[in-house]
Amino acid sequence: MSDLNWRLAARSLRRDLRAADVRALFVALVLAVAASTMIAFFLDRIERGLERQAGQMLGGDLVLEQREPFSEELRTTLEQAGFVLSDQVDLVSMISHGEQFQPASLKAVDDVYPHYGVSHVDRGNGVEQIASGPPPGEAWPDPRLAQLIELELGDRVQVGQTELTVSGIIEREADQSGGFGNFNPRLMLNTADLEATGLVQPGSRIGFELLAAGPPAALEQVQALLAELRRDGVEVRDVRVDRPQLGNALQRAESYLGLAGLAAVLLAGVAVAMSTRRYVERHLDTAALLRCFGASQYQLVTIFSLQLMGLALMAAVIGALLGLVGQAVLLWLLTSFLPMTLPPPGIMPLWLGVFTALAVLVGFAGPTLLRIKRVSALKVLRRELDPLPPSAWLVVGVASLVFGGLLWLYSGSFSLALALLIGGSALLGLLWLVSGLLLNGLLKLVQRLSGGSEWGQAFRLGGRQLARRKEAGLGQLLAFAVTFFAMAMIVMVRGDLLTTWQDQLPENTPNYFAINIQPSERDAFEDAVALRIEAQSTLYPMVRGRISAINGQPPREAVPPDARGDNSLRRELNLTWQSELPEGNQVVAGQWFVQASEPQGWMSEVVATPQAASEVVPISMEDGLADRLGLGLGDELTFSVGGNTITTRIESLRSLNWDSFNPNFFVIFPPGVLETFGHSFITAFHLPEDEQGLIRQLVSDFPGVSLLNVDAILGQVREVLTQVTRAVELVLILVLMAGVSVLYAALTASRPVRAHESGLLRVFGAGNRMISRVQGAEYALLGFASGLMGAVLAEVATAALYLYWLELTPRLHLGLWLILPLGGALMIGVIGHALSYSLRRQAPAASLGLLGET
Amino acid sequence: MSYSSDQSAHLSVNDARPSTDTSTVSKVPHKQAHQPVLHAEKLSKQVKSGERALTILHDLYLSVAAGESVAILGKSGAGKSTLLGLLAGLDTPSDGELTLFGQPLSRMDEDGRASLRAGRVGFVFQNFQLLPTLSALENVLLPLELSPRAGETQTAAQWLERVGLGERMEHLPKQLSGGEQQRVAIARAFVTDPELVFADEPTGNLDPDTGAQIIDLLFTLNREAGTTLILVTHDHALARRCDRCLRLADGQLMPFEPSAAANGGGDE
Repeated sequence: MSDLNWRLAARSLRRDLRAADVRALFVALVLAVAASTMIAFFLDRIERGLERQAGQMLGGDLVLEQREPFSEELRTTLEQAGFVLSDQVDLVSMISHGEQFQPASLKAVDDVYPHYGVSHVDRGNGVEQIASGPPPGEAWPDPRLAQLIELELGDRVQVGQTELTVSGIIEREADQSGGFGNFNPRLMLNTADLEATGLVQPGSRIGFELLAAGPPAALEQVQALLAELRRDGVEVRDVRVDRPQLGNALQRAESYLGLAGLAAVLLAGVAVAMSTRRYVERHLDTAALLRCFGASQYQLVTIFSLQLMGLALMAAVIGALLGLVGQAVLLWLLTSFLPMTLPPPGIMPLWLGVFTALAVLVGFAGPTLLRIKRVSALKVLRRELDPLPPSAWLVVGVASLVFGGLLWLYSGSFSLALALLIGGSALLGLLWLVSGLLLNGLLKLVQRLSGGSEWGQAFRLGGRQLARRKEAGLGQLLAFAVTFFAMAMIVMVRGDLLTTWQDQLPENTPNYFAINIQPSERDAFEDAVALRIEAQSTLYPMVRGRISAINGQPPREAVPPDARGDNSLRRELNLTWQSELPEGNQVVAGQWFVQASEPQGWMSEVVATPQAASEVVPISMEDGLADRLGLGLGDELTFSVGGNTITTRIESLRSLNWDSFNPNFFVIFPPGVLETFGHSFITAFHLPEDEQGLIRQLVSDFPGVSLLNVDAILGQVREVLTQVTRAVELVLILVLMAGVSVLYAALTASRPVRAHESGLLRVFGAGNRMISRVQGAEYALLGFASGLMGAVLAEVATAALYLYWLELTPRLHLGLWLILPLGGALMIGVIGHALSYSLRRQAPAASLGLLGET
Repeated sequence: MSYSSDQSAHLSVNDARPSTDTSTVSKVPHKQAHQPVLHAEKLSKQVKSGERALTILHDLYLSVAAGESVAILGKSGAGKSTLLGLLAGLDTPSDGELTLFGQPLSRMDEDGRASLRAGRVGFVFQNFQLLPTLSALENVLLPLELSPRAGETQTAAQWLERVGLGERMEHLPKQLSGGEQQRVAIARAFVTDPELVFADEPTGNLDPDTGAQIIDLLFTLNREAGTTLILVTHDHALARRCDRCLRLADGQLMPFEPSAAANGGGDE
């Protein structure tokens, strides 16, 4: 017998694919699966791609750094775990070319370098992308170094006790992390030449780095070892932890994509619910007949469930394929930002797609489908014996539960899902009430339409038709309102997201950093740039200092074991002093320095006296660093600055925007403490395209000042934003399509009833034009009311969303209140009118007969 | 399945109310002539119509022997369809006893009644009731697949050939004329070799000529298969071809002799 169920289901499914409601159901399911798989595939690959990119910026999946060479034992352990190792040595040394001397930051790389990515090197044939370092005997200076000591290709440069041939100018290193910790120009050489330079001596400040590339499993395997190394003071950088700051843009885009995917699933769910209703109605006769021939209730449910499952599986496969194509398109849009070798799509998103299809089907179609079970065999003799439709509460309740589950699955947050679900249900109940009132009011208003104009008449008749089927009309109104709401929200959030991104990097975002401006040069430098640039950040004084104690203990003992290798403990920090909170900084805990009564500004720098050693200085720390070091308000830090020690206490924690392209500081002192120590100034400014000549002038007038051009990095960030925007737009289209599928499903569902009505109108003598107008008017009224409700929903929901998910400031969308109702009236009016064109062309007998047929 | 006890009950009632039971004097001898296929006693059906209860059938008695053909006539609204629904186990009586194939239908649940019908009862409806999405062949296959003989496609095809539609097996109902649709329905009713066929106004939606052809086909197949036939109709000409005619009036069945003059359309 079960064989029969399969056969029957398969056969009727094949035939059913011609029916409009089944097609609507199918399209809706395909869209739901396509949207969810596309986004899941995409996010999954992006996630792994970002890890890869982080690896590229770090130089490997795992980077170890210490002051002495790494042991053979460690190397063997790592290699056994599956890592490929590469050695790198960093040191600062004076180099010379002829009579010119310059301190340079040397980076010696081996033949494995680089693990990921390519360097941009000019070897005489323009800039090439090269996936290696210089061969033994050769060296690559960066353009700054080449300019400073007038190096050209083929020149010999003195490094320690040996001479190397300049064979290329390196414009960008494969593993450039973009920090400003190192202000000396770069010279890259091969590790094979290191010994000949004689620079590697006991006691010299040398950083030995071990760069390891390997699969996540390898990384997983050595976690215990890494923890041990960290405790030993080795700096350990792990791709999964030390993500580069790609900015909030991508994170927000991910949130947005997830949200849009859910909106598409919700819309598709609404479409599924509506088409299932029609599907079940159409199959009640079949069910009754099967009953008559001896089928049990269980068999009926099995047959129709199997049929719908088959439909869902087909939809899942097609949807998943579309999702695969879709994510490929998304990635293609993002290619120049993502590393070229993205991991292939995983299998998980596919299961997610199939699961989504089934869940949507069960949730949105289940209760309605069960109605088939209750059909009486007597219906074959008495057509009017239809089982009651399931209660709206049951349908909405089950759908909400399933959708809530999907929310939970996608967002990974139970509380968020629950909150959205409860809020959504409350909103839906309220919506039902308000919609009923709205529809009533609107219909009353329409009946008062005076005048015998054809349109007036059409609206009165259309309104009456709507009033006659108030329950069904209300259901459609709700479905359309939810549709408009979801569509509007996705459009609005997109707009605001883009605006926010643009605001984040305005036209005059600094593209140059000037470092090492001496106090004596300060005024002159400011005068030189002020006239020719568009925007400049404050000139921040900068003092180098090292954390020498935390709460009276050696720093490494005071911080959590994992933080022992932290950069901030191993290197000098850039300290500054400010009386005002720098732009873009926000105090998240404690209080900013209380304004002193003494004169501020340059005076304070001149008259300041060193703090008495016993006095504790208040400082402000970046919250991320405090978090890493396990520090909080009230903790005492001792800094060693130029041989002196200063005891400080954390009085405020700041969050700051690392994407801002302005100088940012981990630790800020109040004025009057650091002024007497040797300091220089740093600033950032935006140099317009047509003022590039200024750079040459600055270089010659202020030879000691380092100018860093960050146009390339800035361009890269801008590129990310543009591409993410395009990805967002692609998803937007998908959501809009899901919205259209709801319209299609709703109109298909109400087709027979409308056909009957227009048949009746025609029998009573209404012309084609009249019927067409009545239908148009009915749809327009429905569209108007739905649009209005959609606007209410969208405004409330976006406000909530901005506050709690995307972390943007909510704002009122006035256009919404105009566009949605009018656009809704126009859209539903026109689409509905067009879709019922074929109905109007039917002879009245046929359209009246439609109700009697199945 | 036991027929013995039912038979004794049947005989005693038969003695008391011989007028509506002619199973023992069936015109067409049948090998199971002494065992009623269907037996109804004191059958009542009330429905609620608004505030008041409406009695449609009251203390109705009927016994149909195997191989017999019985016509039930009655005015519109007399309760013919209600009775048919009860007899076929599509509906439950308000009171009384009803046995089908010796099984107490009135005491079985919906699923039990359905499984009793499967493969043993055939139906022919006024409005054909073909599934619009299935081909002629698939429509005929449908009851077969619900019976233990699932998968006998050949049988279904043979039946379609017998009703003269061998060339049109793959056609959908809407591609067939009314008469052709009813032929499909008849093939569907007989395909499982049922013991009992219910026909509800089988010619009601057909023109007289087509109707006559359908009737010929129905009775021919019925005779060949030795099936029991219960037929509800307005049509006296049709009724006359049955072994026995009963009229439903005031909720009761009475023996009836259809007039020779009337040929469809009129009541009684």
